Amino acid sequence: MVHSTQNQPAAIIADRISKRFGGAVAVDGVSLSVAPGEIHAVVGENGAGKSTLMRILAGVIPADQGEIRVGTELLSGGPRAALAAGVALVHQELSLVPDMSVAENILLGSTPTAAGFVRRAPMRRIAQAALDEIGIEVDLDEPIARLSVSVRQFVEIARAVARKPRVLILDEPTATLTPAETDHLLQMLERLAAAGMAIIYISHRIPEVFRLCTVVTVLRDGKVIQSGPVAETTPREVISAMVGRELARDLAGEHTSRQPGEVVLKATGIRAPRVNGVDLEIRSGQIVGLGGLVGAGRTELVRAIIGADPRIAGTVTIASRGRSRQIRDYQVAVRSGVGYVPEERRSDGLALTMSVVDNVALPNRAALSTAGVLRRRRITDYVERLADAVGLRPPKIQRDAGQFSGGNQQKIVIAKWLGRQPALMVLDEPTRGVDVGAKAEIHRLIRGLAAEGAAVLFVSSDLPELLDLADLIHVVRDGTIVGSLTREQADERSVMSLASGEKAVVA
Amino acid sequence: MAESTLRESIVAPTTAPAPASRGARVLQFVADRGIVVFTVGLIVFAIVFVNGFASVSNVSDVFYRAAPIGIVALGMTFVVISANYLDLSVVAQVATAAVIFIGVSNQAGIIAAVLVAIVVALVYGLVNGIAVGYFRANAVIVTLATTFIGLGILRWLSGGSIFFGPDGGIVQSLGQAKVGPVPLSAIVLIAMAVILGFVLQKTTFGFAIRSYGSNKAAARLAGVQTGRLVVGAFIITSLSAMVAGFVLAAFSNTAVSSMSDGYDFRALAAIIIGGTSVFGGRGSVLRTLLGVVFVSVLTNILVLSGMGFGLQQVAIGALIVIAVSVDALARKLVKS
Amino acid sequence: MPDLTRLRAVLARRTEGRAVVLLIAVLVAAVAFEPVVFSSFQVVLGRVALIGLVALGLTAVILLGELDLSVASTLALSGVVMASIPDPVLGVVAALATGLVVGLINSFFVVVVGINSFIATLGMLFALRGAAFVLSGEEPVRLTNIDAGIAFGAPLIGPLTPRVLLFFLVFAALQVFLSRTRIGREFYAVGGNRQAAIDVGIPVRRRLVLGFLISGVVASLAGVINTLERTAADPTAGSTVLLASFAAAIIGGVLLNGGRGTVLGTLIGALALSILQVVLTLSGVQVDIQDIFVGSILLIAIISDPTRLRASVSRLRDSLSRSRTRAPA
Repeated sequence: MVHSTQNQPAAIIADRISKRFGGAVAVDGVSLSVAPGEIHAVVGENGAGKSTLMRILAGVIPADQGEIRVGTELLSGGPRAALAAGVALVHQELSLVPDMSVAENILLGSTPTAAGFVRRAPMRRIAQAALDEIGIEVDLDEPIARLSVSVRQFVEIARAVARKPRVLILDEPTATLTPAETDHLLQMLERLAAAGMAIIYISHRIPEVFRLCTVVTVLRDGKVIQSGPVAETTPREVISAMVGRELARDLAGEHTSRQPGEVVLKATGIRAPRVNGVDLEIRSGQIVGLGGLVGAGRTELVRAIIGADPRIAGTVTIASRGRSRQIRDYQVAVRSGVGYVPEERRSDGLALTMSVVDNVALPNRAALSTAGVLRRRRITDYVERLADAVGLRPPKIQRDAGQFSGGNQQKIVIAKWLGRQPALMVLDEPTRGVDVGAKAEIHRLIRGLAAEGAAVLFVSSDLPELLDLADLIHVVRDGTIVGSLTREQADERSVMSLASGEKAVVA
Repeated sequence: MAESTLRESIVAPTTAPAPASRGARVLQFVADRGIVVFTVGLIVFAIVFVNGFASVSNVSDVFYRAAPIGIVALGMTFVVISANYLDLSVVAQVATAAVIFIGVSNQAGIIAAVLVAIVVALVYGLVNGIAVGYFRANAVIVTLATTFIGLGILRWLSGGSIFFGPDGGIVQSLGQAKVGPVPLSAIVLIAMAVILGFVLQKTTFGFAIRSYGSNKAAARLAGVQTGRLVVGAFIITSLSAMVAGFVLAAFSNTAVSSMSDGYDFRALAAIIIGGTSVFGGRGSVLRTLLGVVFVSVLTNILVLSGMGFGLQQVAIGALIVIAVSVDALARKLVKS
Repeated sequence: MPDLTRLRAVLARRTEGRAVVLLIAVLVAAVAFEPVVFSSFQVVLGRVALIGLVALGLTAVILLGELDLSVASTLALSGVVMASIPDPVLGVVAALATGLVVGLINSFFVVVVGINSFIATLGMLFALRGAAFVLSGEEPVRLTNIDAGIAFGAPLIGPLTPRVLLFFLVFAALQVFLSRTRIGREFYAVGGNRQAAIDVGIPVRRRLVLGFLISGVVASLAGVINTLERTAADPTAGSTVLLASFAAAIIGGVLLNGGRGTVLGTLIGALALSILQVVLTLSGVQVDIQDIFVGSILLIAIISDPTRLRASVSRLRDSLSRSRTRAPA
């Protein structure tokens, strides 16, 4: 199970690590060993347990079972202990302080001092050395707030490198980088590895893995599925291992083929931060899925289309009930019949401390009132009907939304829009963190909407879901649609290879 | 048939919130409903033990004193529930309305005075509301700025002098008016509570404000026009401050620019003691009314027991911290 | 030319920009209308010290992402404490200790109980003011040793009074602390990205306690100075100080959400506001109209954040155009 490319002792060994969150197993008996100088890729679909495993290795969260050795030492204690032992993690979210300088951020928490005063000369020297090591030119005194997102990513890496770690863990470091910046990063990591650092590299992007890494470990559902030298495998094999389910399409989602109707949504030339020119058309009764990797710009794209975030360029028209309207901002979109289920349902979708009734009534308050006065009876009837339609469990609509399970919270968010018979329903990761039963029910609701003539646009990182639901899949990479697959053309491999930039497999 | 398999797979139990410990539940109850119990308890205590509390003249005196600050607090509840901390400029607004109520009606009659005051209140509400709602500026700083501007203009135009209503004039008669034994100011306080309570609880506007305060992002994504909402909250606060200014002026038949000093934080204190959260969303106009009654009765008890202004202030300060600490501790216990 | 670009880069990083612009504008106006202001700088400095001292301490707390509304009440209470003690030295020590205790109580509620600093210090705003009234018997307390007070008001070095000197001392100490020491720099991390600060092992709770101690002690120092200069302690003292010191810090570029700003900015903000007031006073403008100026400048300062201004205007325009287009329908 454990591989190492050289005959040196491993820099870090994880032995049968397990971690559960509530009832769900995130990491299930994973063992991993990385030798000095080795670049070890850890790949897997979203939710495979990669990030959790890395956070355990870096001491950010404790493991339920198993042990970690760095060199010969057993690792215990929090992130500082891990750091002291020589494990540095570059987070997915940036953890820099916006109004401190580059040098200060690189040495945050380990600033050199004399009698309490910051010793600027050594601080600058160490910071400069770290920046030189990763080959980045940036003014040491510049505040982070004035740097671009990609430069910040490099500063974050410099901070990890400045601590001279034996093991460097990077979690999706290229998600925000341009191709040229990615090239630079990969070369830099090769240099660091050549100098004897052990590197664990998490990525979705298969070409990067094959260009950079010496060993690849595939995780799925918290377990190691495959692990071995990159030279002994192929991209195809790795993708299959990631996806796993050979019988791709389960028959549960029996599909009644519908005749797509009129064009409901027409978006042309959409540009926004991380969206680089997208044209899109959706017809009544059609379910369109956006596939791609996390960070590909799908959420940004849908938010730009419906005006939830500002666009730089592009026009959007929505035609419903015989009227066609230009969508300039979100309020107009809602009034034109758009329903939106955001990615972060807890922070953006629901008022958790308010009741189900209040949450569902909010977007429909005009219809549920007379002359601006709410009609209690009408509201509870309305919400009861919708709670029943979405299968809310338990059906206690006076309870706070925060007291329901994830799946039922998502049903509440969908119920907010369901009663309006939306012309266009937009759903971002509709079943993330949702149990199997609720997931099936949400799928039924989405199909039902389309059957009633709504146009549906949804983002999903869950491949089986994407294949199961969508009539048409657009695969998004780097903010543009890189390929479109009809129901007949699409399978897990074709979507993944488009998404990760390995074009050869396109059918 | 796909449907039937679906149904079966859904019977899986949902995760219910874990039952909290008894201590946490007691604290939670106190945090949620405490103000009702405490207010009633305090009044009963006062009736039984405090000499001179349970007399018609004393109770109407309590209402006289509670009415202006109470009306301000009722209106400001809208700003607090919309998660915008408070409106400091009520200090300037109350005094301005009072000076207009007496000064302008001396010159041009009471109807003109009311009209001018309404225009001024709308200007306050619009300036504060646009700066906070559309420019997304911090409400504390915006209303601090409008306090400076407003008090400056008021003192400049009024010359800082005291305005007196004529003896036997309409303002004075309003101030002394009673319905049976109940002073008019108390009726205005209750009427404002009923109206504002209705607006906050029963109208689409009030509903949208509560939702917005509870989760700004979710409210926006539900299609709520958030900028207008904030402007509305500030306008309601301004109109309430105007009414408070009228009541205050009528009470003494005088008006001066410094007469509402301290109304900003005192109104907020009543709101917080009533149990409305400064983080927005949670709270109600009724709670604020209870907070006002509680603070007023407590102050009255302290006065009747011969305690000075200083101890009253200490008591209010302690109450704020206790009210919020109980809430914070309850939430901590429930979480753990 | 590289020097020039370098200079531009350094300038672009500063957060004091708007305060400097305001200061220059005020100075230009002063040259044009009331050049007298430059020969009466002890008046100006006295005014700066009055507005600015409390603002300096407040800046430390705001940088941490917290608020301290209790500063003005702390000022009043420590003045009364000082005047109530006959021995002048003991009085000063007791007053400063009062500020320390206030800081400890504030941080207890924020750090241990876990309530929002806005509310905790709002409670203290009332409680401390009340305590000042109780302790003083609701009357101004005269200083036992009036000579010490009179001596305190006299210029010490050149035209500089002890108040002005103390102000600059506190400024220098805080400036060095927040820009040069490790603990001071960590204030920015705590206010700018609290999770990151926790992750790298900065003792966030201890930094918060320190911040409230600083603002408490500085406020009580202001109370001491006030009492000495007036030779009496008034329990109502400093009631306008809270709002004025907020204004100085905000105009000085201190971000109310924490993590951004400098005490230098606060100093410049206080300087600009004071010179403005002195110029206006010398020009015969009433105090009331001066307040209108200060308020307008504050309002402009808060809504003219260049990164947000464009978005704000377009939001407003959208909203207006919507109501227009809907009206005829």
